[in-house]
Amino acid sequence: MALSEYKRDMQGCSRCSSCKWVPFNQVKSWRFSKNCPSISRYNFQAYSGSGKMTMGLSMLDERSKLNETISNIIYQCQLCGACDTACKVYRDDIDLTEVLLELRAKCVESGELIIEHMALIDALKSEGNTLGEPKGKRGEWADGLKVKNINNNTCEVLFHAGCRSSYDPDLRDTMRGHVELLLSSGINVGIAGAEESCCGGRAYEIGYRGEARNYAEDMLSRVKSSGISTLVTSCADCYAHFQYLYPRMGMKLPVKVMHISQYLEKLILEGKLNLRHKIPLLVTYHDPCHLGRMGEPFLTDWTGDKLLRPMRMKRAGRMGIYDPPRKVLTSIPGLELVEMERIREYSWCCGAGGGVLEAFPDLASWTAQERISEALATGAEALVTTCPWCERIFRDTLAKTNVSLPVYDLTDLVLKSAGVPEHTKV
Amino acid sequence: MISDEAYRELENAIGPENISREPAIMDGYAWQALETTDPDIWTTRPIAVVLPSSIEEVQAIIEVCKKYRLRFKAFSTGWGVHASVGYENVILIDLRRMNRILEIDEKNMYAVIEPYVCGAQLQAEAMKVGLNTHMIGAGCGPSPLASATSFQGMGWDGIYMSTSGRNVLGVEWVLPSGEVLRLGSLGSDSGWFCGDGPGPSLRGIMRGAIAAVGSLGVFTKCALKLFNWPGPPQPEVKGLLLDAKTKVASNFKLYLCTFPDREKFSDAAYKIGEAEIGYIQVKNAIGLMLATMMPHLLKKLSRADALKKALGAIGHQFMIMFAAHSQNELDYQMKVLSQIVSENQGVLLDISQIRPFYETFWWGLVRNSIPPLIFRALGNFHLGFGTDESFDSQSFAKKLGEDVKEKWIADGAILDDLSDNAWMFLYENGMWSHYEELFLFDHRNPKQIGAISSINKNFLQVTKDNNICVGLYAHEPAARKMFSPLQGNYNHWQKKILHMLGGESVSDTTYYTDEKDLLQNASMFCRESLSSGP
Repeated sequence: MALSEYKRDMQGCSRCSSCKWVPFNQVKSWRFSKNCPSISRYNFQAYSGSGKMTMGLSMLDERSKLNETISNIIYQCQLCGACDTACKVYRDDIDLTEVLLELRAKCVESGELIIEHMALIDALKSEGNTLGEPKGKRGEWADGLKVKNINNNTCEVLFHAGCRSSYDPDLRDTMRGHVELLLSSGINVGIAGAEESCCGGRAYEIGYRGEARNYAEDMLSRVKSSGISTLVTSCADCYAHFQYLYPRMGMKLPVKVMHISQYLEKLILEGKLNLRHKIPLLVTYHDPCHLGRMGEPFLTDWTGDKLLRPMRMKRAGRMGIYDPPRKVLTSIPGLELVEMERIREYSWCCGAGGGVLEAFPDLASWTAQERISEALATGAEALVTTCPWCERIFRDTLAKTNVSLPVYDLTDLVLKSAGVPEHTKV
Repeated sequence: MISDEAYRELENAIGPENISREPAIMDGYAWQALETTDPDIWTTRPIAVVLPSSIEEVQAIIEVCKKYRLRFKAFSTGWGVHASVGYENVILIDLRRMNRILEIDEKNMYAVIEPYVCGAQLQAEAMKVGLNTHMIGAGCGPSPLASATSFQGMGWDGIYMSTSGRNVLGVEWVLPSGEVLRLGSLGSDSGWFCGDGPGPSLRGIMRGAIAAVGSLGVFTKCALKLFNWPGPPQPEVKGLLLDAKTKVASNFKLYLCTFPDREKFSDAAYKIGEAEIGYIQVKNAIGLMLATMMPHLLKKLSRADALKKALGAIGHQFMIMFAAHSQNELDYQMKVLSQIVSENQGVLLDISQIRPFYETFWWGLVRNSIPPLIFRALGNFHLGFGTDESFDSQSFAKKLGEDVKEKWIADGAILDDLSDNAWMFLYENGMWSHYEELFLFDHRNPKQIGAISSINKNFLQVTKDNNICVGLYAHEPAARKMFSPLQGNYNHWQKKILHMLGGESVSDTTYYTDEKDLLQNASMFCRESLSSGP
């Protein structure tokens, strides 16, 4: 696809501004009624979903030219999908996120590149991860764990760690905990260790489609040869790319793809995971964008008139993963869940996605701070999420602002409640 | 082009991060598909966009405009072609950073807001203290300040909460001269509670019937009258719109009232007004309902002539919602409605019993989140008439509107909506009412966008020939030239007001006083760039 193929979508914008707000049915206060970090931070219309479509149209109509200013606006956006979801409350014929992705591809094709993203792609090419860490150390997080390596073992489940979790020392205990939980529940699980690579999703998001395709092919080949039946990941970004991007690129993984929160729910329902220890804690839950609205499975490209597209064929966020993490949380004895105002399909982004953390860290922090304020407004004693990118940006932002709010991965609390020996401290 | 000197002065006034002259950024303000009649949807591009955060910054911007002979146009939530720029030397003042609810006075039932507060925000906060705000027809996304001070302002809660122009109290207003004028009680340092004093009462000058669409300066704050809300402080709503589920409190009821003919339909509406019942009242246009909720079904229906006729026969219907403080009050309203419907040979359907439809629709009506669904069928709509008149006059116009539309439907220029797409409701207990005949089209379809100008002319001619009051058209340069001489030379007086307030050379006057000939095969709107004025 190319930007020009979305011209009707862009032209279709009525400029109603729904893309700037939480879906109106769900506006609960003045303070937490906005949904788009980009325009909320920078204010010019061009930063909104609608404005970016208009900019795209302006370039297609040769009214303006792509330059560094425009490129920055295009990339000062987490691709969180909130604008798209809000737009699709009313419209069947506009795929806003696709336009945003095409704008980025155009930037790359035109050479309007972001230096930090070039570094990310270089790291990806040389080390197979977005962080520039040594490829050989990718599997070190699992050292000492009695987990199989799928490269020389047959497993039922492959656990995919993802770039952030593989290398972030602060998240290492959580990563090991995911696998310990699976192992202690009797699951025949394996990892790819040092052979695991990036899913390629971040490359796609920042417009480098060739690289994204290469990594998708690599993943597809590994999965095909592994003999696994289920792929489990704890990274919401990877999950979304496996579920949506890969099939969209014609590389649907021939196995069941599950996020760790779904798998934990399954284990609890099957009685394989028993949450017995009380955790008397009031928590609030942050929906990662890529697990929620962006995590919908890809169905098919609608090739007919979009005005007649059935609602079920719209990527409107309805089929994202919202309930499993909540059900896991509320299965923990003593734990109480209090919701923020912006949740589920209309959750506010953590700030880290879409290449923003790498290129525009101030926007990433500002966005995270907004979410932290919302979490604090609930009175919760802790913020829980289930994505390493969200956890990282929340922790970093809290550290900068000296605000005290513990941040947990869902698995941290499950480990404590289940009483898995190495993880009894929260 | 803006000169570097002028740009630098604006930068100094508001900070470099709050001004831009980048073409692609400014094009974000030059795409307005709503209400357009021009196949080229692009409007004139401003020469710069500024984002002030205070009244002082607004004044500084206007001073720069005066110094460099530039014009300005105020812009808040900015939806519709009237929000766009009409001249080639205009600084667009985007008021997005002025976005606070400054006060909600529960006892005196008003709120003080800035320009970029949206209806949903104000309603959400007002409901927490048992109050509600009037919502306009464009939905709950637009700015209540904008509709109160600067443009239109009607909505389906009009029977209970009137219309925006009647709800505005104290006002803080930066005139085109740069001076600050405070209206109503605010003008005598007595607070925000009253629009008519003590202090200057200039609401008629400020907005008249339609308002000045930004030509008379910049409104930086205003107080709005709030109304009783007998519902929960924060209704529990699951879902985003058509999938919404809400547990509706038992002190609410929603009815559909259907009448055998136009006369009975009107008579019943008058009686409802006289009885002073109802919280929301709006004509149920079957075509509009289908186009928004079930566009696929509407498309199929348009090929079924017998069914279309059957639906046409039951087209004289409206919905009415009750919101009562007690069971006795609710019983009284239901009893009165039942009697009125019976006396007018109507049929009463209790929608409250039709679940889950009621659970979805109730909050859509109260929150006013439904209106943008009108874009779902084809992506755009336009309207004929748009008048504020007595209900009988509206019913008369409604028939004319249907006739106008039918031939354009037959021609394929607009969607076949069964010719029943009237947006029509009472104001203030039936003393007057509003009516627009909507027609849906796809502005990406060359045939359809090409016909819109002609359809507009058709409606204008019918308006003129039948002495229907010009309403929403009044801000359009061609309509102004056509109708002003027929209606007390209103534009003559508007020009005097503009002159008195110093706006002639500094405001973008396109949608307030400019006039244009209604040419054959040309846009009714003053779209092509005008000269930069005196």
